[in-house]
Amino acid sequence: MSNNKTSSNGSAKDLIENIQSNFEKQGYICNTHIATAIFLSQSLVKPILVEGPPGVGKTELAKATAEWMKKPLIRLQCYEGLDEAKALYEWKYGKQLLYTQVLKDKLNQIVSKSDSLESSIDNLNNFDDIFFSEKFLEPRPLLKAIESENGSVLLIDEIDKSDDEFEAFLLEILSDYQVSIPEIGTIKGNVKPIVFLTSNNTREIGDALKRRCLHLYIPFPDPFLEEKIISSRVPEIDKNLKVQLVNFVQGLRNLDLKKLPSVSETIDWARSLVLLNVKSLEPNLVRETLNILLKFQTDIDVSDPEIDNLIEQSKK
Amino acid sequence: MVDFLRDFIHILRSSDLRVSTSESIDAMNVVSKIGFNNKSLLRDSLSFSLAKTLREKEIFNECFDNFFKENYMNLKHNELPQEKFEEDIELEELNNLEKKQKNLEELYKNSDKTSLMTAMALASRDANLQDIKLFTQVGMFTRKIFDEMGLETLNNDIFQASRQGNTERESELKNIRESLRLEIRDYVENQVKLRTTNAGKQLREDALSQMRLTQADKSDYQIMSGIIKKMARRLISVHSRRKRKSQRGMLDIRSTIRANQEYDGILFETIWKKTKVDRPKIVALCDVSGSVANVSRFFLMFLHSLTEILPNVRTFAFSNKAGEVTDLFENKDIEVAAAETLLLNGGGSTDYGQAFVDLEGLLENNIDRKTTVIILGDARSNYGDPRCDVLKTIQEKSKRILFLNPEPKSVWGTGDSEMLRFVPYCSKSKVCSSLFDLERIVDDMLRSSI
Repeated sequence: MSNNKTSSNGSAKDLIENIQSNFEKQGYICNTHIATAIFLSQSLVKPILVEGPPGVGKTELAKATAEWMKKPLIRLQCYEGLDEAKALYEWKYGKQLLYTQVLKDKLNQIVSKSDSLESSIDNLNNFDDIFFSEKFLEPRPLLKAIESENGSVLLIDEIDKSDDEFEAFLLEILSDYQVSIPEIGTIKGNVKPIVFLTSNNTREIGDALKRRCLHLYIPFPDPFLEEKIISSRVPEIDKNLKVQLVNFVQGLRNLDLKKLPSVSETIDWARSLVLLNVKSLEPNLVRETLNILLKFQTDIDVSDPEIDNLIEQSKK
Repeated sequence: MVDFLRDFIHILRSSDLRVSTSESIDAMNVVSKIGFNNKSLLRDSLSFSLAKTLREKEIFNECFDNFFKENYMNLKHNELPQEKFEEDIELEELNNLEKKQKNLEELYKNSDKTSLMTAMALASRDANLQDIKLFTQVGMFTRKIFDEMGLETLNNDIFQASRQGNTERESELKNIRESLRLEIRDYVENQVKLRTTNAGKQLREDALSQMRLTQADKSDYQIMSGIIKKMARRLISVHSRRKRKSQRGMLDIRSTIRANQEYDGILFETIWKKTKVDRPKIVALCDVSGSVANVSRFFLMFLHSLTEILPNVRTFAFSNKAGEVTDLFENKDIEVAAAETLLLNGGGSTDYGQAFVDLEGLLENNIDRKTTVIILGDARSNYGDPRCDVLKTIQEKSKRILFLNPEPKSVWGTGDSEMLRFVPYCSKSKVCSSLFDLERIVDDMLRSSI
């Protein structure tokens, strides 16, 4: 038993490292913490709730997973007022209307054959009820994900933006991976999809939903990881500039800002500095391009007096 | 394995982390995938299924480090044959009870620290050590565990030895008893530290939320503002849900036609638009002079923690003159704002009449039928003119006036208290002396205003 355990244990670690290196090949740099979460959600078949400040790569994580597993990514963007018809399924009304037109002619034929009311009803009953059948069903993201033959990666993005009702409605799908449509019955897929939920914490997610998920918090990366991310995304960047830039952004995050610069903004900034052919950070240049990093005028005003200081520190 | 996880989850729960049964099952599954060998991997993995907010993750990490520092060695030793091992012990317990008890002496003499720890862990399980709540229980539990481990046999042996006059053996056994007792006591003390760090806090929080705010000590402010945040969170979640259940409005023609396409355009089902409920306005006027300052401070904190569901709050503070403090609370840390409010507007002798006049001047026409005016104070106006006429105009303009008084009802109207003259103009006047009262009043207010 002991051998068994250690071997499975070893392979768990290998698998996690495997995930990490595979993500790295696609340009998604992550630490073991994130890779472990992916490994667990995959082996326990549990949805995974990813939280963290905006722009740390929550959505990217789902994309990278889909690519790595070679499965289609199905994305559902949440917003206030999102309902079943947009998330799960809808009937194809136009097609149904056309069908009723055809049906009218057909009905005359069927009913004309019978002489009494009773037999005409019998005849009607024998007639297939295809009005509410899968032919007229328009699958939306959730149904698509459940129905997909070879499994899929379902990304439910920004769940915190949706209403409480929608959250409650998700509970059935997330725990049983099945959908019941009153007219047709229960639809259950062969392969359970890998589910990602992301949240920016604009409101507290319900406990019931949290209980059903593994919970992964992605914070801002440490300097080392951020440098790695930058060199993977902006490979042409000068090594010296990269270190300065990352240090500068890390310093900015320590200030009291309304919205802290995220990883995606660091990447954008790095790209524009490369375009501008910059070799080293200079105060004037930073001031001119700061609007790429900071998205509020008040934030720019707050950081302005600190810029010289931060640049100095980042060059050490 | 099961034991360790159960114990760990118990400790998490006692540290204010809500772990549900399904989450503990998840944790079990996680452990069966990961194993116990890699400590950091185990910590990462368990945190995914057990801690579900950033704050919870911090607590989790702390608990994990403490718990596994204590038990990790032990764990490794028992890891593989854990279940079998336990069965063995239980069999042993059942079949040769005497043998086990005799072992106490041998256990001490022959065995290493790990097996001693294991024996203690088993005994403490039987002694229900997980129920320990207070430091004062250490002695009792030490004794209980000692008993479980077989103290009686050891005592008997000592007695025998002393009766036979074998002093050497007697003192040897006594030494063993003493050092074993110390070992167990250390163990229990560690456990108590692990399990009760938060239980004590819980007790204190309960006491503080019942205590009269005028008696609150500065050293408790930190905890109390924590309590307020908790209360506010609770109220927000209750009331924001209720608020969203908005009322039915006009017929939504577009969606109705669409929904009825399947009936060939005949309108069977009707779909209604939703009306938006007006946002309530709240104006709070707080007495910040000496005696009432504390209550005001916490009331203001409370109001400003509720911005999510009460976006239109304006707050004023006064002792002899009233001034607006809304900006202070909106732009600064709530603790700093509370302190600054007291500094700016506190001091001086209280004058309710002047405060009402100032309030009316500051508000001008910003007071209408949707506005709830809340006045918090002891109504002790130092024999100045209470200006009930101004209060009356405020009452006429606003939806209602709530008067919160930290003094008990029996002293209303005694001495310089003008409370009885104010009461007729207020739709409600209540005693508000503890955080608990505050929560109830705010809850009440929210219920009737949104």
